[in-house]
Amino acid sequence: MKFLISLAFKNLTRYKRRTLITAGAIAFGLMMYIFIDSLLLGLEIESVRNLKWYETASARVLNEDYWENRFQRPLDINIPDPDSIISKLDKNGIKATKRIEFSGDLILNSFDFGEDGNMSVIVTAIDPKKDFDVFNFDSTIQQGRFPEEDEDAVVMGSWLAEDIGAELGYWITIVTRGNGGFYEAMDMEIVGIVNCPNPNVNRTLIMMPIAVADEYLAMEGASTEVNIKLPESADIDAEVIRIQNLLNEDNLTVMSWKSMAADYLAIAEAKRGGTSMILFLVFLIAAVGISNTMLMAIFERIRELGMMRSLGMSDKKIRIAFMFEAAGIGLIGSIMGVILGIVINFWIVNYGINYGDVYRDMDIGYRVQAIIRGAWNFKTMGIAFFAGIFISTLVAFFPTKRALKMDIPSCLRHQ
Amino acid sequence: MTTKLAKTALRNISRNKRRSVLSGVAIGVAAMAIVMLFSLIAGMQVDMESNLKSYYTGGIRIRNENYEQYERFNPVHLTVDAESVQKVLDTIEEVDVYVPRTSFPANLYIEGTNFGAMGVGADFKKEADFIDLAGSLKMGHLPENGKNEMMMGAVLARDLKLEIGDKVTIMSTTAARGTNAITLEIVGLFTFPVAALNAKYFWAPIDRISYFLRMNGDTQEVILKVKEGVSELEAAEAIKEALKKETSINYDVQAFTEISGTYEMIEMANTVYTIMAFIFFLLGSTVIINTTMMVIFERMREIGTLGALGMHGKELVRLFFLEGMFISIIGTFIGVTLGIGFTLILGKTGIDFTESMQGIDFEISGMMYPKLSISKTIFVFFYSVIVASLATLIPSRKAAKIEPVEALRYV
Amino acid sequence: MKNKIITILILLSLLIPVTIFAITGEEIIRKADEIQVFETSEASGEFRIKDRFGEKVSTFNSWSRGTEESLIEFTSRAERGQKVLRTEDELYLFFPDAEELIRMQGSMLRQSMLGSDVSYEDMTGGKDRISQYDVVLEGEENVNGNECYVLIMTAKVRTVPYPKEKVWIDKETFLVWKAEYFTKSGRLLKEMETLEVEEIDGRMIAVETRISDKMKTDTETIMIISDLKINIAIDDEMFSLEELSW
Repeated sequence: MKFLISLAFKNLTRYKRRTLITAGAIAFGLMMYIFIDSLLLGLEIESVRNLKWYETASARVLNEDYWENRFQRPLDINIPDPDSIISKLDKNGIKATKRIEFSGDLILNSFDFGEDGNMSVIVTAIDPKKDFDVFNFDSTIQQGRFPEEDEDAVVMGSWLAEDIGAELGYWITIVTRGNGGFYEAMDMEIVGIVNCPNPNVNRTLIMMPIAVADEYLAMEGASTEVNIKLPESADIDAEVIRIQNLLNEDNLTVMSWKSMAADYLAIAEAKRGGTSMILFLVFLIAAVGISNTMLMAIFERIRELGMMRSLGMSDKKIRIAFMFEAAGIGLIGSIMGVILGIVINFWIVNYGINYGDVYRDMDIGYRVQAIIRGAWNFKTMGIAFFAGIFISTLVAFFPTKRALKMDIPSCLRHQ
Repeated sequence: MTTKLAKTALRNISRNKRRSVLSGVAIGVAAMAIVMLFSLIAGMQVDMESNLKSYYTGGIRIRNENYEQYERFNPVHLTVDAESVQKVLDTIEEVDVYVPRTSFPANLYIEGTNFGAMGVGADFKKEADFIDLAGSLKMGHLPENGKNEMMMGAVLARDLKLEIGDKVTIMSTTAARGTNAITLEIVGLFTFPVAALNAKYFWAPIDRISYFLRMNGDTQEVILKVKEGVSELEAAEAIKEALKKETSINYDVQAFTEISGTYEMIEMANTVYTIMAFIFFLLGSTVIINTTMMVIFERMREIGTLGALGMHGKELVRLFFLEGMFISIIGTFIGVTLGIGFTLILGKTGIDFTESMQGIDFEISGMMYPKLSISKTIFVFFYSVIVASLATLIPSRKAAKIEPVEALRYV
Repeated sequence: MKNKIITILILLSLLIPVTIFAITGEEIIRKADEIQVFETSEASGEFRIKDRFGEKVSTFNSWSRGTEESLIEFTSRAERGQKVLRTEDELYLFFPDAEELIRMQGSMLRQSMLGSDVSYEDMTGGKDRISQYDVVLEGEENVNGNECYVLIMTAKVRTVPYPKEKVWIDKETFLVWKAEYFTKSGRLLKEMETLEVEEIDGRMIAVETRISDKMKTDTETIMIISDLKINIAIDDEMFSLEELSW
């Protein structure tokens, strides 16, 4: 056996060029597979991340009647004492922040905006001290700043700002109904514009400090939701149950981002079918490339095989030697492929493909954050690694077997 | 000389059938995959465009001149006189089919609460020529013009726990800027290829909607498709002129490519697809190049023999070039043919495929029908042949430079 | 004795303004509310609604009984047959083409009626104002030649739409000439003004009123009441749900 391994190894080093070309084909196929997989996974992860970072957080504490009435955004179905919940969670090492969400009419005056107008909006009141612990808006600020804790000021999504022609320093009025139903009108200065990668948010976001909202809407410390951030690795469902038990309050419920975004996830699930189709096509081309090169390499060496047989080497040993050789090529190719994959992955994970450049000089109305980023998927790399070795070995098996069935002279005569 | 070389090349190919078949197959598979992917992408693009044209803007959209300016305020009263517009459209040659539509925000009053939804008023007789409504029906039948009926998005119905036969009262703001309500019976549930439509929309006969919204027989818009090969932009201009001449009213006539926010999305998606296609292309090309190079390196000894027999370096290069070209022509031809075949079959049956750009609401279908692009297929054919042929140059030129003796020793 | 007289005079002089100005803010409001209430009434009228798209007119017939019950039926073409029924606790809408009554509740009440500056909520409001507001008599002012009390009403509860109201009430007839509705911080939301009055049954009744929503641009609604008849016989069934859908 040792002899066979060393023979295979000798052959590999002797025919360096062939080894390199074959291994190169394998490496390139694997690299592409890893690349495409990374890109597709990156897109998926990115969209889930956009959901968690800017819309749902990991989990949310709500009044148990809130969810079914959520479209009305009722202020009276609330969490009376969010601060005690947050400090309770804090003691258990869980980061949380309170928010108030309410609907209202946005009044634009002709003084700033050139024309009077109004539109319905949804306003999110945040705790500027703690919100960034849970959501990731701090890095999205494009112009200006976030409001101070007690400032009558808002930040706005950049698409919304563009739609209504808003700029820093403009004043808007938000007319709404406070807790109980009374009218309230708030004059707010736009102090910041955020460019959020989540298009749904970027199209609608208006954020104000929660202390100001609390005062205007007579919330008396209550909030409509408490958002929770859990580590990426956490078992969300188990955590939700744990938090529910921890809070131990009758009229509150804890929802995971998965249950809040059920519809979204159903769509994502359907889309996964498409992803696997693309991956399959890539795999097909890579596999064909690998097998082909491998087949070629074996066929070209039937004469050598004949020589070995005529020198009295047993069929079994020859087969094993050839398989070892193929596996060796597969191994080299796989190592190269995975290394190349890691290198290219490093690039697309950290820098991404900025296809927004294409539109830089084109006014397309929307400024999209047009960077596609990849994601690390070590499972795919592992699969690709072993698939590379396995396919090479498997593909070598059949022509070797066939060659061994031929008589020695025709082997020797083989072109 | 060349004919002799060509003959030799052909002989070489037929003499070592297995090798030829192998490299031919590799090139063929790569070409096939590229053809299929291009078709898939073309299918997605066509699909997106056709969804946009079918369900949203049409190829050309005709609206009241002031509608867009006040769109935010839901100006139901800014209508078009569908009848006179349609009369004019009948006289315009470029126009293929047109339908009147009215879409409006509505509240569904269900057990004491309002649910927001979007209504579409459509002429179900005319729509038959415009889109395949019947094919989108999941259950029940299409509403009939003149009846208080509606069909509802299957997802919306599920969310509201409604079924066929249920009656729903809808409320909306009328053209008289008042409120009105009407009760419609659900007679059908639809699943359009665009997910957003199924979760938010219901469709009802436009005559009833026009009555309900007090539009006096007018509609919000008339959308149309132009005949094959006609430019929407030019046709839109012509229609605008004709309408002004005939009705002396200025209408807002826009080709779907001009309507902001919609076509840009398509353009953006196209970029993503192009990147995908490019990566594929690269992968396919490597398979071709690799196989070809491999073949020649394996034949170094043969090259040595030929050199020893007095064949010149240039001729050698040419010989291998021709061999590569012939193999790739055959391989690519078979591959492209197979690709076309598969595409045509899949184009009929469709694949359950949803593209993988998430987070962005592309108007793309769950079912994908690949669409063959003849020019691109021809391009793939020539590209593959050229790449394969050129790929022979690298190793064969190198081989031609080696001393015959050295080449003979080459394993 | 002299001291006594002086004391009495002083007391009297202290009392005089008290008796003359004895009327409190609450009483003024109560009186103003009273003159608007009839045992029964019947009227026809119209809404002239102006918004950014122009002006439109809707006509109606209306009936009422006491403070709690009223019925409006629209007669203009665009909304012919639509009815708004207010009972003691509820507000219902009837539409000829709808097979069910629509009960307005919660946030639905905040919608504007017929696209006017009046919300359904505004129609239900007004009852029991005294218990919901603190009333302060601020002074007197002349409004279009009418001597008025000026009252500031501040909401005691959060369940009323307008946290602050300022009303001008005629000193003699207790007719509300003008009212302004504010947010807590004093931002003007809505304005109401009486343009035309008529004496019916010894009471001054506003027959033309202008209401404008200050949060919208260029909008106003003028309500004109004609043919007001009061204390007439009205069928008991008029204000029942069953009758609504005839």
